[in-house]
Amino acid sequence: MAVVNVTRNPEKSLKNGYLATSLVGLGTTLKTFTKQLFRLEESNTVQWPEVEYKYSDRFKGAHFLTKRPDGKVRCTACFLCATNCPAQCITIVAGESPDKGVEKYPVRFEIDILRCVFCGYCEEACPVDAIRMGHEYSMAGLAEDKWVYTKDYLLNREAITQTLGEKQVSEKDENVKHDSVESGLPGIHRK
Amino acid sequence: MSQEQSVQLTVDGREVSVPAGSTIMEAVRKLGEIEVPHFCWHPGLSVAGVCRFCMVKIEGVPKLQIACNTEVREGMAVDTIAADVKEAHKWALEFHLINHPLDCPICDQAGECELQNYYMKVGKYTSQMDEDKVLKPKALDVGDTLVLDTERCILCSRCVRFEDEITKTSTLGIFNRGDRAVIGTFPDRRIQHNYSYNLADICPVGAFTAKDFRFQCRVWFLKESESICPGCSTGCNVKVFQNGNSREYFRLKPLENPEVNGHWMCDYGRTQFEHLNVKDRLVSPLGADNSALSWSDAAARFGELVKSQAGADNGKVALVLTPQHTNEEFSAIFSHLKSQLGREPEVFVWREATEERDSFDGILFRGDRNPNTRGLEDTLKELGVSAKECSGLKDVGLSQAQLAVVLGPEVERAYPSLETDLAVLREMPAVVYFGNHRSQAAAGLSLRVPTLVFTEKEGTYVNHAGLKQTLKANARVMPSLKSLTEFLGGA
Amino acid sequence: MPLIKREYNGKSPEDFRLVLDFEGMENPQGIDAYKSKKGYEALTAVLKEKRKPDDLIQLVKDSGLRGRGGAGFPTGLKWGFVPKDAPEKYLLCNFDEGEPGTYKDRYITEISPHMLVEGMVISAYAFGAAKSYVYLRGEFYDEIGWTEKAIREAYDAGFLGENILGSGFTHHMDVYTGSGAYICGEETAMISSLEGKKGQPKLKPPFPAVAGYLGKPTVVNNVETLAVVPWIVRNGAEAYRAFGTEKSPGTKLFNLSGPVKNPGCFEVPLGYPLKRFIEEEGGGLLDGKKLKAVIPGGASAPVLTAEEVENITLDYECLQAAGSMLGSGAVIVIPEDVSMVDVLDNLMHFFKSESCGQCTPCREGTGWLGSMAHSLAAGHGQASDVERVAAIASQMAGKTICAFSDAAAGPAMSIVQKFPHEFQSRFG
Repeated sequence: MAVVNVTRNPEKSLKNGYLATSLVGLGTTLKTFTKQLFRLEESNTVQWPEVEYKYSDRFKGAHFLTKRPDGKVRCTACFLCATNCPAQCITIVAGESPDKGVEKYPVRFEIDILRCVFCGYCEEACPVDAIRMGHEYSMAGLAEDKWVYTKDYLLNREAITQTLGEKQVSEKDENVKHDSVESGLPGIHRK
Repeated sequence: MSQEQSVQLTVDGREVSVPAGSTIMEAVRKLGEIEVPHFCWHPGLSVAGVCRFCMVKIEGVPKLQIACNTEVREGMAVDTIAADVKEAHKWALEFHLINHPLDCPICDQAGECELQNYYMKVGKYTSQMDEDKVLKPKALDVGDTLVLDTERCILCSRCVRFEDEITKTSTLGIFNRGDRAVIGTFPDRRIQHNYSYNLADICPVGAFTAKDFRFQCRVWFLKESESICPGCSTGCNVKVFQNGNSREYFRLKPLENPEVNGHWMCDYGRTQFEHLNVKDRLVSPLGADNSALSWSDAAARFGELVKSQAGADNGKVALVLTPQHTNEEFSAIFSHLKSQLGREPEVFVWREATEERDSFDGILFRGDRNPNTRGLEDTLKELGVSAKECSGLKDVGLSQAQLAVVLGPEVERAYPSLETDLAVLREMPAVVYFGNHRSQAAAGLSLRVPTLVFTEKEGTYVNHAGLKQTLKANARVMPSLKSLTEFLGGA
Repeated sequence: MPLIKREYNGKSPEDFRLVLDFEGMENPQGIDAYKSKKGYEALTAVLKEKRKPDDLIQLVKDSGLRGRGGAGFPTGLKWGFVPKDAPEKYLLCNFDEGEPGTYKDRYITEISPHMLVEGMVISAYAFGAAKSYVYLRGEFYDEIGWTEKAIREAYDAGFLGENILGSGFTHHMDVYTGSGAYICGEETAMISSLEGKKGQPKLKPPFPAVAGYLGKPTVVNNVETLAVVPWIVRNGAEAYRAFGTEKSPGTKLFNLSGPVKNPGCFEVPLGYPLKRFIEEEGGGLLDGKKLKAVIPGGASAPVLTAEEVENITLDYECLQAAGSMLGSGAVIVIPEDVSMVDVLDNLMHFFKSESCGQCTPCREGTGWLGSMAHSLAAGHGQASDVERVAAIASQMAGKTICAFSDAAAGPAMSIVQKFPHEFQSRFG
């Protein structure tokens, strides 16, 4: 490995030294403090938790699962989010759906939120608009089991159902099939 | 034309020589470097020529021809990459896909689907389709092993030909015509034979999917390795699919080997992954009270048991072998006992009492459910041992042996009378049982030692015809597991 | 009605009665009526004189007779492909007349079914088939009865069965009825259907002349082709060549349909001008309408515009050169007040429902064209749709086992290329 030797420039040390820069910084603080004390400038500080900060719509917070118009989970358990996840934090167990028009659905859908890096690739990968990242950012907690978000939690937690309401329902129709799926062949019936 | 006559032709400028009467497809396959896209052609089946995908250009022929049914001629110049050939391939794919439901997210074939593969290889077009797709029945229950989705079907007729030509069951047909044509079973018929999973294999799309693999795992998580099926003495070559992370085994598929199994394998063979997974495995040695022992303790106890019988004047020692292990394991345990005892143990070959050893279904499946019957015979001959073959374990029980060392069956399903036989062992003074099943069947024996399964060990199987085949070792489902030689080395 | 109206090429209309000789007779169907006009003389001569089969094949080759079902393949050549030493051979008569606009074969049977029977026995003798089948369209109830009756009469008269006329030649004949699939008119599909399988064409090679019905050498000929064989045997190849053109000798039955004054089945020498055929035999269009287009050879022939019709003669070469085909000889006249968009819709609907569904380009292509033509006709189309029709059709043509795909693609392409303006007015 190469070593770069840096020689201190004595001319600049006064201007860039610790003491000088500390004083400059303190000056800025005093200036802003005074301005805001006399209401000459708006403060950026939010009085959290009494006041909630509103992030932009594009903020990628905690995940939620969207629903079909009939209230069922949209996810078809295609595993694309789990495949795409760089943190490998999504666990899916697929099963045969009791619904006629939907063959496959997730029996289990879990996100290990402690491993999640909030990159949003799961959202990107989803072919049926089933997983999205919401606006929640305060996810602190104590109980151990809360760190693995279950399907029910991703689908039905209060924070989502209350804030999103109808927005949690996605009407994209890729994964809902036509009624004509019933077999027309003799002796063969749908499972 | 005689068989020896060969024909020289060029494909994309590369010369290849094939027997007279071959098709262009066979010549291209022999060449190996070039791929002509195809759906309906399958090396193990007759030529249907219906997908019209394998279009190639032949010098001097005005129209494009299909490679699968065009016989080679001397000096023929075939072009598979000309602009019009590529255009024809794209359109052929477009025609296949216009009524395909594209439900890849819920399709088990996704990841190993020929439609997907060819789209990436020769497609990559923007679809012209703007009309409604034709809808057909989905997720039909057509047999105990298969689910049929007629909408995904591209009507290549491979399955129909398989049923007509290989199993001769003729359950399937293509009904209706035009774009309403639909694959299906004849009225009141179900796909019920021992080769049904092959239909899921040869189906180039997700029309036939296997029930035992349905929704279990996406194929891109699976790692593929080659092995030999332990189901019967045919010794079909197989591909074993294991999840790369969890090491869980999900399925077996046939590996093409014209000398053994051709392109197929039986449904019984397909189930040979079930005993490989950790939930069914014996993972640590167990003592007589079913308590787990450390490997070193188990080795020490085994050593003591053998030592106690050492010397010429001591009691009999029986070595019971099932033809389910490799030649190397047979000779390792025999040699170990011989050197430790200072004399040869009495060797028994344990065979299932109810087996119909010489039965054969005419395709692949044999009544001898042991992969290495010939190998055991050969190994014993090599060691110069005369073994006693016994049906069940009664003879071993009557042999008055003071110690029995048993190399139990790897596939317990091949030994339906296992319970009765183990009851015989329980009556004996001391039994060391090598097995890989967690089942309680062998509980109460003096010492139970886990063995490796066929996917985890290296070694030799000799099939019914005397063909030697080598096993390759995968990672063990539990890193702590020890092979027989490793265990004996510690004893 | 079958006669042409006036002198043609120095011959009087009465001379052009090769196949429809019995037309206009009282009760022409029976064996006695048939015998009264040289019926079974050709067969008797062939068997009594013990003529060499090879000579018969040569005679038909010399006559230049071409298959009348649509493809126009030389008949003698087809017979010559049959291996001489094969122990079991079959002759199939293609009576699955399904081409829209065609009704010539049923007309032959209506007038003289014995002509077909005699022609079949002679043809079978020529290449040595001991068994023949008449593959009849299932919906032709009357024709089934007439043909069966003629076969029965021929058996009774000793023209069929064991040791016919003491010649040592044995031949049996049966009628097999299809179930009304257009594709079963294709020879290998007919063979599949006759074998009891789904009626869909077989992969070639092997060709039927080598491995056909039940894997045995088989010749499939159209009714009209077989029916004219006795005439050729009686009068010789030269006499036959006196009609028609150099490459398309003989006469052919043409079926004229559409809004013409005098539609029907006409026996016309090949090489006859199409314009004259419509104007004189057909009597021109009804209500003085103007001609817009003509489909010259059944639904699978590409259409001709009114201008193209001016110089067309009814023979294989001329129509092929004009980008269409003689086909089965069904001339369909389209008047000025019929939109070509609807013609396309009608034709594509037909091909969509009749494709056997075996080869992908045809199965998917006909379905696709069918729904596109339907949406164009319903006024939901746009300019790019017309281009797509042409693109799809061009990719379907020449890519399948049989010619059905070309048959569907040809009309589709010719309509969108020759009448683009008609589509523009229908765009939604």
